[in-house]
Amino acid sequence: MRSPRLALGVGLIWAFLILFLVYPLGRIFYDAVTDEAGRWTLANFHEFFTDRFYLRSLWHSMILGVATVIASSVLGITVAFLLVRYDFVGRNLFSYLTMIPIISPPLVGVLGFTFILGRAGTVNVLLMDLFDLLRPVNFLYGIHGVVLVETLHLFPMITLNVVDALGKVDPSLEEAAESVGARGWSKLWRVTLPLTTPGYVAGALLVFIWTFSDFATPLVLGVQDLLAPQAYLNIVQFVDRRIFRMGIVISALMVLLAVLFLLAARHYVAIKDYSSLSYSRVARRRLSAGRQAVVVAFLSFLLLLSFIPYVGVTLASVGKGWALTPLPVAYTLQYYERVIVETPKYILNSFLYSGLAVVVCVLVGVPIAWLLARSTVPGRGALDAVNTLILAVPGTALGIAYIRAFHFDLPGFDRGLTSFWIVMPLVLAVRRLPYTVRGSFASLLLVHRSLEEAAGSVGASGPRTFRDVTLPLIWKGILVGGLFSFMTSLQEASAVLFLALGGWESITNGIFAFYIAGSANEAAALGVILIVVAAISIAVINRMAGTRMGGVFG
Amino acid sequence: MIVTIQGVVKRFGAVTAVDAVDLTVADGELFTLLGPSGCGKTTLLRLLAGFYQPDSGTIRFGDRVVNGLAPYERRIGMVFQNYALWPHMTVAENIGYGLRLRRLPGEDLARRLQEGLRKVNLIGFEARYPGQLSGGQQQRVALARALVLNPDILLLDEPLSNLDAKIRIQVRAEIRRLQRELAITTIYVTHDQEEALSLSDRVAVMRDGRVLQVGPPRDLYERPRTRFVADFVGTNNLVPGEVESRSAEGGDMVVRTALGPLRAIANGAVSTRCVLAVRPENVALGAAATGEGNRVAGRVSLVSYLGSTVRYDVETAAGLVLKADIRDAWHHDPLPVGRPVTLHFPSSVTLAVADDA
Repeated sequence: MRSPRLALGVGLIWAFLILFLVYPLGRIFYDAVTDEAGRWTLANFHEFFTDRFYLRSLWHSMILGVATVIASSVLGITVAFLLVRYDFVGRNLFSYLTMIPIISPPLVGVLGFTFILGRAGTVNVLLMDLFDLLRPVNFLYGIHGVVLVETLHLFPMITLNVVDALGKVDPSLEEAAESVGARGWSKLWRVTLPLTTPGYVAGALLVFIWTFSDFATPLVLGVQDLLAPQAYLNIVQFVDRRIFRMGIVISALMVLLAVLFLLAARHYVAIKDYSSLSYSRVARRRLSAGRQAVVVAFLSFLLLLSFIPYVGVTLASVGKGWALTPLPVAYTLQYYERVIVETPKYILNSFLYSGLAVVVCVLVGVPIAWLLARSTVPGRGALDAVNTLILAVPGTALGIAYIRAFHFDLPGFDRGLTSFWIVMPLVLAVRRLPYTVRGSFASLLLVHRSLEEAAGSVGASGPRTFRDVTLPLIWKGILVGGLFSFMTSLQEASAVLFLALGGWESITNGIFAFYIAGSANEAAALGVILIVVAAISIAVINRMAGTRMGGVFG
Repeated sequence: MIVTIQGVVKRFGAVTAVDAVDLTVADGELFTLLGPSGCGKTTLLRLLAGFYQPDSGTIRFGDRVVNGLAPYERRIGMVFQNYALWPHMTVAENIGYGLRLRRLPGEDLARRLQEGLRKVNLIGFEARYPGQLSGGQQQRVALARALVLNPDILLLDEPLSNLDAKIRIQVRAEIRRLQRELAITTIYVTHDQEEALSLSDRVAVMRDGRVLQVGPPRDLYERPRTRFVADFVGTNNLVPGEVESRSAEGGDMVVRTALGPLRAIANGAVSTRCVLAVRPENVALGAAATGEGNRVAGRVSLVSYLGSTVRYDVETAAGLVLKADIRDAWHHDPLPVGRPVTLHFPSSVTLAVADDA
């Protein structure tokens, strides 16, 4: 009956995905396996795999990813267990505070660290004054610094997923383990942890891919021999065509690797789906006073570390003459004045692009979620796969792919899509689409089909049912997904750094530009603005959806 | 409204969920589809509702062929297993939603809403949300929501399965009372044979997408035609055997079994291989049993006290276990396990049925 309209809708969705995701990615793969004249060749890969510097970059990227995953897992799982299974002073407060690190925009986090832990940062100044050290301690500059910054930024991703997974474990499974004599570590190791692996793997994959594809953090910390920074540097130099092409080859390789990791993780999770959606929960254990002290001390120390960037950025945004002193010598609002009043374009652009991106996300994402949850149209599996693929595609690679794919002149214009600002919200929408789809999909699954059928049985048509029954029950999920997409769009630092032209700069462009130009204070002021917006968004999301945000990342 | 189902087939991939079903439901009848899970009863109900369309066959409501019509074009009322009350609407909004869709004038709408609430004793609950109601109350809201529209057909999908035993019996009586009062053609799906027997005018027993037997509850209980029906409806002792001889009319027969030759009666056609079905309440126990009829010797192997009855499992020499119920449990001294006993059951309660196992 409705099938022509349904087919039209499905066609439009696929057209969007093919045009703005499949085609650009296909374009860089095509470039990677052809030469300047368009002939098929493996020479590019041959060059990559015989170049010792590129190989070292690849190897370092892997080490960085694995090290970050291990470090964030240890922290993230420990925190998740403490929060879910034990009761101690300030547990509720800690469970909110542990979320805070992920809201710090990636670029801002690393800047904040440099203010406090950098060569001339607060800690080194204090150390040199107190202990007469001749040279500053190198906390940050090198791979170890990247691991530190990424771990303190990303471990909540693991925590959220494990908390979510622990909530889905039926307590009777643990009780059964106890009934056959498993206790303490043995129960944890043999029963509880394995049951949370699907959630954990999803979180670990995101941490890996995030770290693997982040070029800004390593560059700020002076690390260049990694894949993502190499891709960035090769592309932005724009002069040597051969090096430019190698940037594209590296991007293609990054997409390929990310997809491989995604497939491996999916395969692993698919054979281990244990969630049983139980309503009962394991009771929290009250810790003894001594143990409480240890737990509170551990969490406080962890949060202190995680708060370093916030302190650093906030101080830098209002501090004057902060050099070789532990704290700024004078305070001012002039940097805020500069970025808000004098050049408001960063903030205006960011809100415009992110707002439009969310509109596109909802227009494309909610129908996708509906198709996945409710319809039987063919190709649903592919739709789901493409949607998940987006999570794995590094923003760096997508930005490069857009540059490569959309620079041809549009019909009717003598300019390419990359010279219209609409490309910014488009790339943001594609990057954030999975959050909207997942948020809406999860809400749709909670609306039992019979609720819609009941509306049909009393005389409501399909669209009417959607308006009167489905929509009122899922709008919160859509809003939460949309708000999350908005917040993370504001923070997007990879794809948009490639695409922004003069006049289109977003907040993250501004931060990068100010920092590179040596105006760290203005960068910090913009960073604080991002943090405030993110904090408000998270507070609203929490109010509406409870603390169970894990699903959005899963 | 008469419902006619002719040759209806519904397949899901390789599975035939409903396999060439023919049924006619009389006007004002309460008709039950009974069967184990996966027998196709819910699929058949959903075909009637319009949530599925049949692959072949026709469904008529009165003279109207409803094939291809959407649920909202069929003038049905449906009550779902999980109630399916809209959690964001109050009781009044839930019940009134269908009326509002029909754009009734305000006072009409209010009158019919009140009438609906009164029918199910929910006056005073208008402003509550479903989450604030008990299971029984929720089920009554679902019923009212279906009934206020004066549908041609009322469809009920296991409406009592989520209720406690006591409430279930109460709501069951209420459904029956309302259905009688409104004289609305009703099709009721359940896997609970007791519910089906107590509630229905007629019952269709289904299995693997087919209808095995249709009849009033008493017919199904006392005159099952096949082994499956005899086994599924109530409790039966089943003894396989072969027909040795039949009377001229074909009613009375002697059947050779592992327990020796037994006298039985048949209801309908029975081939040589058959199964004898005897209900435990028709089996008497002990040497006291006299008169003509079947006798089988055995030993008590299990005694179960069920409150209103005492059930004996008696193992015969052939290894077959037969169940016998003693009705007057209050004045009965239980026999010890191992005690030799004689079972006695007249030929009039020994039914020969087709072996469809």
